[in-house]
Amino acid sequence: MKRLLHTLLLPAALFAWSASAQAQDAQTQGITDTEVKVGAFGPFGGPAYLFGKIAMNGIEVVFDKVNAEGGINGRKLVLIREDDSCRAEGAIAAVKKLVYDEKVFALIGGACSNSTLAARAEIEKAGVPFILNSATSDAITTPVARNIFTSQITASVESRAQVDFAIARGAKKIAVVAMKDAWGMSRYTPLMKYLDEKGIKLVANLELSPDASDATPQALQLKAAGADAVILLLYPKPAAIMVRDATKLAFDPIWIGQSTINDLKAFNAQVGMPGALKNFASITSTKFDPSDPAIAAWNDRLKARFPNDEISPFNMYGLGSAQVFVEALKLAGRDLTRDKFLAALGQLKNFKSDAYFGPITCNAPTDHQCNRTPGWFAWKDDKLVTLD
Amino acid sequence: MLLRLTSPMAAGIALFALLFAAPLLGANEYYSYILNLMMIHVIVTVGLNLVMGHAGQLVFANAAIFGIGAYGTALLMKHFGLPFWLCLPLGAMLAVSIGLALVFPALRLSGIYLALATLAFAQCALWVMVHWTPVTFGAGGFTIPAVSFAPLPISPDMGMYYLAWAVCALLVVLARNIVRSRIGRAFVALSDNEISAQSLGIDLLRYKAAAFGLSSLFAGIAGGLFAGTLRFVGPESFDLHQMILQLVAVVLGGIGSLAGSVIGGVLIVVVLEFTKATKMSVEIVFGGLLLVFVLFAKGGLVVFIRRFLPSWNETLHASPAPRSKAP
Amino acid sequence: MKTQDMMIFGYLMATGLTTGALYALVAIGVVVVFRATGVVNFAHGEMFMIGGFLAWTAHVMFGLPFLVAFAAAVAGTFVLGIITYQTTFRPLASTGNQNAILLAMVGLSFVLKGIARDLWGGRGDYLSFPPLVSPTPVDIFGFMIMSQQLIVLGAAIAVMIGFWLFFRFTRAGKFMQATADNTKAARLVGLRVDRVFMLTFAVGAAIAGAAATLMAPLTLLYPDVGFSLFVKGFAAAALGGLGSIPGAIVGGFLLGVTEQLSANYIATGLQEVAAFILIFLVMIFIPNGLFGTAARRRV
Repeated sequence: MKRLLHTLLLPAALFAWSASAQAQDAQTQGITDTEVKVGAFGPFGGPAYLFGKIAMNGIEVVFDKVNAEGGINGRKLVLIREDDSCRAEGAIAAVKKLVYDEKVFALIGGACSNSTLAARAEIEKAGVPFILNSATSDAITTPVARNIFTSQITASVESRAQVDFAIARGAKKIAVVAMKDAWGMSRYTPLMKYLDEKGIKLVANLELSPDASDATPQALQLKAAGADAVILLLYPKPAAIMVRDATKLAFDPIWIGQSTINDLKAFNAQVGMPGALKNFASITSTKFDPSDPAIAAWNDRLKARFPNDEISPFNMYGLGSAQVFVEALKLAGRDLTRDKFLAALGQLKNFKSDAYFGPITCNAPTDHQCNRTPGWFAWKDDKLVTLD
Repeated sequence: MLLRLTSPMAAGIALFALLFAAPLLGANEYYSYILNLMMIHVIVTVGLNLVMGHAGQLVFANAAIFGIGAYGTALLMKHFGLPFWLCLPLGAMLAVSIGLALVFPALRLSGIYLALATLAFAQCALWVMVHWTPVTFGAGGFTIPAVSFAPLPISPDMGMYYLAWAVCALLVVLARNIVRSRIGRAFVALSDNEISAQSLGIDLLRYKAAAFGLSSLFAGIAGGLFAGTLRFVGPESFDLHQMILQLVAVVLGGIGSLAGSVIGGVLIVVVLEFTKATKMSVEIVFGGLLLVFVLFAKGGLVVFIRRFLPSWNETLHASPAPRSKAP
Repeated sequence: MKTQDMMIFGYLMATGLTTGALYALVAIGVVVVFRATGVVNFAHGEMFMIGGFLAWTAHVMFGLPFLVAFAAAVAGTFVLGIITYQTTFRPLASTGNQNAILLAMVGLSFVLKGIARDLWGGRGDYLSFPPLVSPTPVDIFGFMIMSQQLIVLGAAIAVMIGFWLFFRFTRAGKFMQATADNTKAARLVGLRVDRVFMLTFAVGAAIAGAAATLMAPLTLLYPDVGFSLFVKGFAAAALGGLGSIPGAIVGGFLLGVTEQLSANYIATGLQEVAAFILIFLVMIFIPNGLFGTAARRRV
């Protein structure tokens, strides 16, 4: 009986011991005099790989450039990638592996809203600094967790911007077409809240499936409701089908997209109807103009480093977050600890990256959503133009 | 009782001893999480194999039933603030009651018809999880607080680990007794030929209900443990990916073998982590495993084990499977 | 207001019929295989998906004429059908174990999806396929309809007539028909039944390839397109009784119209789940479908 008791209490004792040891080590975990280990998690394949693998390519080229210039305070940056398959169980596994097995100093990434949200408790518990770069769900960063920041525009910022855009363009009858999946809901909920605040009643509130190959019922209802502006909480594919089927009915409102519809050239081809995008505007969180010399230089580096992957706007998601990470690491100084890094990151003011449309400002400890500047752009005469 | 070292029983005891000891021997949080997922998948696989292997009913709804168990458990905690130890059995009961409803199509359908009807049911269940927002919180999923095991001096993660360990061990023993009982023999008769089973006096409704109910019970309990371990529930955890994972687990270990279910449940988690670490396509690896094992190793890995270990004395109930499948 | 309601209803019917034609084309492939072999090709959607990507590769990537791309997709999926037969049906048919055949097909469908993702998935979210005809909609009795949808409608009718001719007038078609009607008898009179089965799988897949090329401009191409279309095709086929080609066509149209009407008059969210509800209900209440033969249960 006594032995049994010992066996049962042993785990508890061991954990108490290892927990105290971990707390001391955690501050400097993943740091040596010559390197800093950083973990990235996101999907490598599947429909969401753009937010994962392709964004990680962006992180990698920033780290490569920093390392070629001698690193930060003599430390080279090492990126360790982990596949989370865009699934809750996968993201928790990836985070645990990076933190407890690879023993990284910090995390960058988080592609899918649900999986990252599922991993939030684990990240918070581990106290590992985390810069979120793709998933837009507000719930990952609100309520504020001491060690979690985002450099991506959040869903609520975008949803508010969509409504404001409609109002600014003089729309009187606003309608919404939304996907009701995790991604769609993370935008739909703040959108409804903001419409409520503004006292705006929607003339139509419709759903379209991500797999839809037809949107005629939706187009008919929008037209019958006489909507003059339609907010699209849709991925590019269903959005293209929505716009196509509305154009078919000669229904031509102001279409208001969001940041996933960021390759307007491809989008125009997917819609496949001449002139369909003449009243279409969408949000971008990143710069997109390939004639911008900074962007062109990064695109060349990406092409050289990852010849088999396409150059995509989603590279910029990783690139921008990596530049934010590097900036905070510089500010944290030589005697690096997690606390010092978090303090530096939390105080970041007006940091201008090559990737983001607007400046990055973190207002720790009250607000860890560091990117609040959506850019508006459209497709005019076969090229991208910025709207004011 | 003398145990031969290479009997399934001895191997099982050794496995569970190892699982018990792993965190004590210094497995870090990542490894204990992976082991935890393994035990959950062992439970699901053992249950699925009862209905698919022993009773020969091809059901594609098990991933959804697993999800209903997870949702049931977590939603009761979320909406009513009930403690986990109460929500887990209640969530499992919900899974069982919905699983039992599938008996009615199963009485009329078999083979491909049953598979596709249950697949359609599973997709409808996912649709409800996504669209019944006031209750299920929709596609965005929801989090639940860490399960406290106070006054035991044990962290929530470790508490879930040892709870999963105990439940898994208990359910494996339960399954072993079922397989050896009259019910187990009736399942096999059922899978052989329903009409001749009926002529042997086997009540079709009763035993199909038993098969579906048991597999749903296992899946429901596993789902509850899954929710407690992840502390997050969202619909995409129970989609086609989860379905193929479970099918591969059954086929990999051995259709109709309890030892095989345990092996399969453990292995799919290992294979999944390995696949991700080596950047291979999860779809190709798991689809390929299913294809290759169905084609070339129908009895699964237990057949190989039996070939090399003559003392491996499990009686297999691999069903020769139904022949004619007109509805 | 009354006329506007009529107008909307008319549109829904028109769109239901054109999307229904799309589902019918997928369903025909499912039915051809089922009639002959008694199994549902779970990987049928992946035949469709790969056919579409093959056509895209030929037409968009290499700039070959559309007819060449069409031929490439049909030929490619024909071969894929043979591969499906060789890897799933042939090795397992003799065991009579339908569950094993279906599991093998599930495995194959995931492998094909994974391969497609590796080959074509890394080029952006969705690939667009330029429409064959002018994208401007045409006006039919006051309804604006996409010309591409008319092409799919026409193609569905053409394929249906083509198959009727094939089964009626060609040797291969007659063999397939005979085997489907009575496998044992066909074997007895010396038909090489396994050859006929192989041809059936190949032809079923080729229909998917042809359908994919015609529909790609409407559905757009992505690796997951197969499963959702398979489900709709299967729902249409099940509604028609699984064994009947006219049944599949009627089933396709019914599903298309049901989706449109339920989306418009009940909730737009129902559009995606209508097919699943239909499968479940048909399977339980009318497992022989609207056109199926009486149930046979053999001991």
